Amino acid sequence: ALNPLIQIVKKDVKRDWPQNQALGNTACDLLPMCNAFQPSRAFSPLPFLQLVSALHNLTRHVVYHSLMTAEEILSLFPENFHQNLKNLLTKIILENISSWRNEAQASQISLPRLVDMDWRVDIKTSSDSISRMAVPTCLLQLKIQEDVALCGSSPVVSALTVELSKETLDTMLEGLGRIRDQLSAVANK
Amino acid sequence: MCDDAQLRDTVLVSSQQFSVLTDMLFRFLTEPKEVERFLSQLTDFATMNKISLGPLKNIVNSILLVPSGALKRNLSSEQVRADFIALGLSEEKAVYFAQQWNVNSPTLTRLAVGHTLMINQLIDMEWKFGVTAGSSELKKVGSIFLQLKLVVKKGSQMENVHIELTLPQFYSFLHEMERVKTSLESFS
Repeated sequence: ALNPLIQIVKKDVKRDWPQNQALGNTACDLLPMCNAFQPSRAFSPLPFLQLVSALHNLTRHVVYHSLMTAEEILSLFPENFHQNLKNLLTKIILENISSWRNEAQASQISLPRLVDMDWRVDIKTSSDSISRMAVPTCLLQLKIQEDVALCGSSPVVSALTVELSKETLDTMLEGLGRIRDQLSAVANK
Repeated sequence: MCDDAQLRDTVLVSSQQFSVLTDMLFRFLTEPKEVERFLSQLTDFATMNKISLGPLKNIVNSILLVPSGALKRNLSSEQVRADFIALGLSEEKAVYFAQQWNVNSPTLTRLAVGHTLMINQLIDMEWKFGVTAGSSELKKVGSIFLQLKLVVKKGSQMENVHIELTLPQFYSFLHEMERVKTSLESFS
């Protein structure tokens, strides 16, 4: 049932599909994609939605199982499938598979992520308890983004400013150094 | 700052007793958490020297104001001595106090600096790292993640902040922190 539709819109698919990031997880992500395609063809929405849904499932399957070769992807299509279309789709998938994989990894569930950090060093010269001093201190601003999956298209980024004394920084660097050493030990195994 | 009338009561205390009192005071100032110990020492002192506790506490309160004022105004021991004499203390007592101030001021300064206002002070950092094995999108992943838990003091409460970093982010974070350390060291 999909074949006639696919044959007609194959040019549109080739142009628009990769840019539409065909890895939306939920059904509601498919609707904007459908709307993006719609203006170019006068189709009733339901078959079109089926088409897009089928394409979506195909790409998800390929990405999930990390199918990287043409043979593996070609074997997914049913036997009487239109030959040229099959080759075209396989070619498009192969071109985009690594960027789709990277995107899936980047948007998987996680703890809040660090997106940016800035720092500045201040010298405290005086306070209410002591009139003259010269104590350097560090202010560190971390920009943290909440879980992408929860926020959808408008991620929430919060900024946390933390103050570190020299001693705290030294201890922190000790800890970070230990992480680095353990990481190299793991990498060298 | 100091109540003249109360300080003048110190004439009731001999020079030797004043020295003992001064030592007790400075020991308390350098260990401000030992309130119980200080109070019991004061009571013993009062009993031993047959001074009533009330006036003694008044004297002590007045004298305690001197070191904190001296820190605020960054006074030398000479200035502390002069201040005490101006307030009616004998030369001998003033000199002894000024000497003790000299000895203890580095510790007291360090304590005062430690109490200086800090915004969202970082108290502790815990970490773990591991490998992501798979996900609902990708059957096999094999990428490394690093999780940090920062314990931050916001006002009087502790707040835990959890962050996840990728490996490149970790290395650039480490690099930046080393730059901060160099910067801090050049200012110490």
